[in-house]
Amino acid sequence: MALTGLEIYKQLPKKNCGECGTPTCLAFAMALASGKGALDACPYVTDEARENLDSASAPPIKSIKFGNGSVLGDETVLFRHDKTFYHPTTLLVEISDALSDDDIQAKLDEINGLEFDRVGLHYSIDGVAILETSGDPDRFAKVVAQIAAGTDRSLLLLSENVEALKAALPSVAARKPLIGSATEANYESVVNLAKEHSVPVIIKAEGIEALNTLVESAQKLGYKEFVLDPGTRNPSQTLANLTHLRRLAIKKKYRPFGYPVIAFTSKAEPLAEIAEASVYVSKYASAVVLKASAKAHVLPLMALRQNLYTDPQKPIQVEPILHSVGEVNENSPVYVTTNFSLTYYSVEGEVEASKIPSYILPIDTDGTSVLTAYAAGKYEPEKIADALEKSGVAEKVNHRNLIIPGYVAVISGKLQEVSGWKVIVGPRDSSGIITFTRAM
Amino acid sequence: IASYGFHPLACKVNIQCTEPTLTDNASDWARLSLELKRTLPVDKPLGISLSVLQTLPEILRQAHWDLSITLTDLESGYTVLRVEPANTRPAYGIAIDIGTTTVVVYLVDLTTGKIVDKQGSYNKQAQYGDDVISRIVYAVDAPENLKEIQNAVVGTLNVLIDDILKRQALQPQDIAAAMVAGNTTMSQLFLGIDPRYIRLEPYIPTMNAIPAAQAREIGLRLHPEALVHTFPSVASYVGGDIVSGTLATDLTNSEEIILFIDIGTNGEIVLGNHDWLVSCACSAGPCFEGGGILFGMRAMPGAIERVDIDTESLEVKLKVIGKIPPIGICGSGLVDCIAKLRKAGIIDRAGNFQTEHPSQSPRIRITADNKEFVLAWAHQAGGDKDVVITENDVKNLIRAKGAIYAGIRSLMQAVAIEIDMIDRIVIGGGFGNYLNIHDSVEIGLLPDLPQEKFEFIGNSSVKGARLTLLSQRAWNEALELARKMTYIELSVGTTFMDEFVSALFLPHTDLSLFPSVEGKV
Repeated sequence: MALTGLEIYKQLPKKNCGECGTPTCLAFAMALASGKGALDACPYVTDEARENLDSASAPPIKSIKFGNGSVLGDETVLFRHDKTFYHPTTLLVEISDALSDDDIQAKLDEINGLEFDRVGLHYSIDGVAILETSGDPDRFAKVVAQIAAGTDRSLLLLSENVEALKAALPSVAARKPLIGSATEANYESVVNLAKEHSVPVIIKAEGIEALNTLVESAQKLGYKEFVLDPGTRNPSQTLANLTHLRRLAIKKKYRPFGYPVIAFTSKAEPLAEIAEASVYVSKYASAVVLKASAKAHVLPLMALRQNLYTDPQKPIQVEPILHSVGEVNENSPVYVTTNFSLTYYSVEGEVEASKIPSYILPIDTDGTSVLTAYAAGKYEPEKIADALEKSGVAEKVNHRNLIIPGYVAVISGKLQEVSGWKVIVGPRDSSGIITFTRAM
Repeated sequence: IASYGFHPLACKVNIQCTEPTLTDNASDWARLSLELKRTLPVDKPLGISLSVLQTLPEILRQAHWDLSITLTDLESGYTVLRVEPANTRPAYGIAIDIGTTTVVVYLVDLTTGKIVDKQGSYNKQAQYGDDVISRIVYAVDAPENLKEIQNAVVGTLNVLIDDILKRQALQPQDIAAAMVAGNTTMSQLFLGIDPRYIRLEPYIPTMNAIPAAQAREIGLRLHPEALVHTFPSVASYVGGDIVSGTLATDLTNSEEIILFIDIGTNGEIVLGNHDWLVSCACSAGPCFEGGGILFGMRAMPGAIERVDIDTESLEVKLKVIGKIPPIGICGSGLVDCIAKLRKAGIIDRAGNFQTEHPSQSPRIRITADNKEFVLAWAHQAGGDKDVVITENDVKNLIRAKGAIYAGIRSLMQAVAIEIDMIDRIVIGGGFGNYLNIHDSVEIGLLPDLPQEKFEFIGNSSVKGARLTLLSQRAWNEALELARKMTYIELSVGTTFMDEFVSALFLPHTDLSLFPSVEGKV
């Protein structure tokens, strides 16, 4: 169980010197408890406290880095609303070395083209999983070299044949690929190979119990850069295993499972495969290996990944764009408010009840209410005028009347000046909107 | 004082120096300081300012070397403030609370520790805005404004000090020390420090620990060299008034966990004990002081302070301050009123008026754009209008109480403690004098804990100021307190917002938090 801020505080020097960058020892302790700080920032912590705190605050799931910026693991919760999920699932598309060189190149081109720009965000596929199915170490080495030359994405070298890995790895070791898989039969050679080249390695066994035994044996080789594969290749069993592994690592701090987990899809039909991969992305897989590489298939998966890994610790906000209520026309009134959802929906409800089709422009105030935003200098006339212009409402209505909340009447003069719109001070409370519109 | 020891920041001693002779030709100051060192209880550096030295030779001789010496007494040393012929008048200090709305001054006898006189009035800065934000906006709007707004508060204080001095037949020179407590904005405006960045993200005050200044630098009409100490702040919205108030609750000497709530516009809350402390400001708004409520007013004659509503007939019984016809309703009356409206089924748990009430009472008036309940008809009221409470008022109050309760819950979550681990709840602020605990729990303003855990402290800020004026150790404790108090920024993360939304119900969305209320509504 993770320590609370107060428990950590008891071990700190209580000097409140501020040298760690937080004003008080308790604030520092709370930052440590929420995983936002490192104990090293405190220059006065005693060795004894360091020992106690290090073991207690060590991350439940090890962070494994490989390839071109791929980070696996380092997660702390089972549900994102408890804190957040930190490291988005690494998505890899597989290419078999049994394909012809031309087919490999075509597939690689397709993977390289998996880049999307959507709602201001950029999505891309993280890496390529190269599967050794040819049974020929030389062929595998050649394909790995070909793919490595054709992409700068992260690489996963996948073969249970030690000879194949030995043949392929040296030429790409500098790019720090993930390799696999170490099984009960080959783990000594595969783990030692990974250790020799300082690359992370997949530990694969059939089921949780076998995996536990294998991890414990592999750890004895003095290497811990592991990614786990519970071996299952069907969705329901994989879901169960992913859940068990995450729970044991976090809730029980069970060290042998304190590593990120990789999942492989089993479905051949792309739509079914994406549905399957969606489950793994939602349920704790740190990496997922896909077959599908068509844009239409992969985009929704990447959008899901993006959504799941956003930080939920943000104020509840509506999108700061022009909203319309009812069948708006060129005579519709224009209201401005803030993007704090409680504020926005109070206004929207009353505007709707007024039965007059209207535009509402919520200004981006980081999700704060009108007076809060005004107090913090986030509801300034210049900012509102700017948002008004960007919203394009000027092209939608043929008047230039803007209704502002009564509580910020003080900004009306300045706003009129900078925006060129006639500013009408509305009622203080949104409940006055109905009476207000009747009087207009 | 008991726990800190009596050791004022200024003191007065009587000494008899030997007259100089041809064989004992030490200088005046050497003679004086030798005698002082013999008399003073603690051996530490002793200093004197040029202005006192300039008049020293005459005074010593006029007094025939029989003298009363006033000194500031700090850990770093003594400084002679005043030399006069021997007398028995005490040295005085003043404790000051600069509130955003009201300012209070206590005259304190530094030899006995007693409060000799007190005086309060409205803060003249009000002409530049009712709240700290509009005053900051004004202060930075033009270069001369900051000085103007500083003069307004110094002027307010000088009037109060003059009144007291006149009443007590004292001179400004008789006041040897001052201790000022105010919120961060008030402290900075009092000292003429640019307050601009207090209100802008990430909300940074200029400094927390504030060096002492001489009265003449600030323009306070005390002894010109009297030191004016200002309480340290914790953050932009948890200031010296709260540090002072926390000290006054004796929280820093307590093993028990204490929750200190200043129920006012800024809604500062402190939770902790001698070992650790967290604080926040939950911006409850001016509701409890009558602001933003149609018939809201301060607790003064004519204000409804208690409301009883018959659940069948909806007939109303009121208790009005001063026993005169009502003209409005104050904070405690509002808290009471909401509880009773809910009990009588006039509003639901979200504060919505019920359009169909079985009583068909004419007191409930519902139209398309107005929903209100008549507390007093025009012919019973002190004004010429019906005194009513509207749905808008109810919702304003629910937001205010929701903010306070959410602030309490956020602090508890920050340190991961449960409600029953809180041993004592201390309620401060002017409003606290009038609050009914039972009603407050019933609407979900205060946590559902046994009545005996609650206590009122009144104006804790000026109490803490007096305490530190009288005790060097208490002052050191205040400085330490401000350094170790951990400020929780409520605008970061979702905890406060989740708690706030859950608290926008009577008494709360989660009824299990209010077991004593649950069965009744």
